[in-house]
Amino acid sequence: MSIKKLLLVLALLLVGVTVVAAQQEVSIVHYYSSDLGSATMAKLFDGFTAANPDMKVVDNSAGHEDFKTQILVTIAGNNPPDLFSYWAGARTQFIVEADRLMPLTDFWSDNDLDSIIPAGVKPASIYNGDVYNIPMNVHIVGFFYNPKVMAAAGVTSMPTTWDEFLAACEAIKASGVAPIALGSMNRWPAQYWLDYTVSRTAGPEFRQQLMAGEVAYNSPEVATALEAWKQLVDAGYFVADANAYDWTDAADQVANGEAAMTLMGTWITGYWDGNGLKPIDDYDFFPFPAINPDVPMVVHGSVDGWAVPASAANPDGAKALIMHMLSPDAQATWAVGQGALAAVSNVDPSIYSPVMKKAADYLGSVAFLSGYDLSTTPPMADAGLNMFAQFMNDPSGYMAYLDEVEVVAVDVFKK
Amino acid sequence: MVKTRYRWIVLFLTPPLLIYLFFVVFPLLSSFYYSFTDWNGFAVDYNQIGFANFEKLFRDPLFGKALTNTVLWTVAAIVIPTGIGLTLALALHGRNFIGNLYKSLFYLPISLALAVIGQIWLWIYQPDWGLINTFVRAIGHPEWSTAWLAKPQYALLGVIIAWAWQQIALSMVIFLAGLTAIPQELIEAAEIDGANYWQRVRHVIIPLLAPASVVVIALAVINSLKSFDVLYVMTKGGPFHSSDNLAMFMYNESFQKYNMGYGSAIAVVLFMITLAVIVVYFRQSANAEHLYD
Repeated sequence: MSIKKLLLVLALLLVGVTVVAAQQEVSIVHYYSSDLGSATMAKLFDGFTAANPDMKVVDNSAGHEDFKTQILVTIAGNNPPDLFSYWAGARTQFIVEADRLMPLTDFWSDNDLDSIIPAGVKPASIYNGDVYNIPMNVHIVGFFYNPKVMAAAGVTSMPTTWDEFLAACEAIKASGVAPIALGSMNRWPAQYWLDYTVSRTAGPEFRQQLMAGEVAYNSPEVATALEAWKQLVDAGYFVADANAYDWTDAADQVANGEAAMTLMGTWITGYWDGNGLKPIDDYDFFPFPAINPDVPMVVHGSVDGWAVPASAANPDGAKALIMHMLSPDAQATWAVGQGALAAVSNVDPSIYSPVMKKAADYLGSVAFLSGYDLSTTPPMADAGLNMFAQFMNDPSGYMAYLDEVEVVAVDVFKK
Repeated sequence: MVKTRYRWIVLFLTPPLLIYLFFVVFPLLSSFYYSFTDWNGFAVDYNQIGFANFEKLFRDPLFGKALTNTVLWTVAAIVIPTGIGLTLALALHGRNFIGNLYKSLFYLPISLALAVIGQIWLWIYQPDWGLINTFVRAIGHPEWSTAWLAKPQYALLGVIIAWAWQQIALSMVIFLAGLTAIPQELIEAAEIDGANYWQRVRHVIIPLLAPASVVVIALAVINSLKSFDVLYVMTKGGPFHSSDNLAMFMYNESFQKYNMGYGSAIAVVLFMITLAVIVVYFRQSANAEHLYD
């Protein structure tokens, strides 16, 4: 080959490389691995590429459970995607503490995200004073119930106080149906009972102190909360053997009319819609009632967001993709496809079903706090979740359980 | 000539040895190393903390529970598959059609992955429509039905039974192979001497099955120590850690609670226990080989 030819080949190769480089790749890993979730996500990526022809999304996602390990391994191995979905709260905090995430504080202010992301949701983005997680959607937890069962038991208006709640449970039980379904086989579904009994009796501030290890598990405040929960178990309001069932079993029990209600996140609507249930006719929502009228009301739930690894190869592409995801159209597509509440306030509220509308309104009216396992460190969460399962098996030893959990708390928080 | 042969040996052995070093020896040594640190499995930084992880093990009630359950599982592994496997092998030994049919049926669980076995037994134990509760209700004893895997007093037993169901099949096959290896004239000689069936089993067959028994017991014990999949599918160590074994405890600490250093310390303890069993196994199997000399 002559020198001339060689140079020509090199030049052609160079042109080729430039053409390929002109279409930048944005690599992403997310945990929306269900058929519906991945299809909706793919729709959003198509919209992004249509609006940005020079960019291409490369989706390297694994299954939901594999994701948890995959993302940590790729980040620890310095081979991370440009962008990944992550649960706001303790899990994000864990990666922030290891200095593995890129701060997005400037990104937040440059794009004036304060104008579209509700102030109540913003705390879920902030870790050690900086923004590290941009919300994609919000789920809130409350009572999802079977209106036919409620009507048959004569419960026509949904309880807003603890006394009304107890009266409703008594009426449902008298009608021959278990008032409350709970599937705590995988432990976490029981956590919302602790979240709400603590924040409705001792207040949200105490609850946050408990999550941070600043107050003791065996304090009188937590005992009072568990006593409220225990009152329901002792009265026989829960379906027996909660630990034998998963949350979807509990959802089925409510749908079939074997139980009246279950304390669960808005994702249950996606499950029920998928099974052909109709909002309002087949299921409805009411918030966890007040217990102590003097403490401020909060709503518990979870925020799914986007994080950018500190060593991302294409952070600008990642940021552009995040901005696309936050556009009202993308948010509406996502919220409807996922059975979630949009993270931004400028979506058209008519996208929501009447039940999701109630949830959205409630989220807009009170402060938001993440659920238990997203609010405290993983070793602490394990001990707590363990206790909730133990409590559902036999609530009588609750004080001893709290003492045991406090031993773990002392170790975890090095008190 | 010798030199050429030596070269070939080196050539053929090097790749597998390298793979073995990289995928087995290196991670093993890493576990030992990390067991003396407080690494969370993810961060760049960690501290050397000496024997603190091992000291913590002795104070941790979860470790005590997991160790007790592992010992229980091992004892069950020695008794159940050996006893039932031997009984089945003795009953089915022979060449008739029915015997072969039953052999195949009892052998079937071997062809299933333990995760699948866990799922099948999950359905058998299901409280509302599971086989066991349906059966006890059908025979008029609904009060015997319970949520088997959700009760701390039954969960571990329930998992061990599911696990043993497969292990029995393995033991049976090994015992059957052992039985064919017993010289027929020895049994006939005993018969001529007037030994009845039980005496022949007790004094001729069982002693001659020693090599097979060593394999059965060793496999059962080693399989019980490394069992994780069936437990993960059925209870994940629950309810509230009541069915944790050391492998599940190690997984929880390393990957759920991000205590990789502590998890490595558990791995080291589990490794030591397994190593002790393997050493005993090799010594016993060396002894058993003299049997036919």
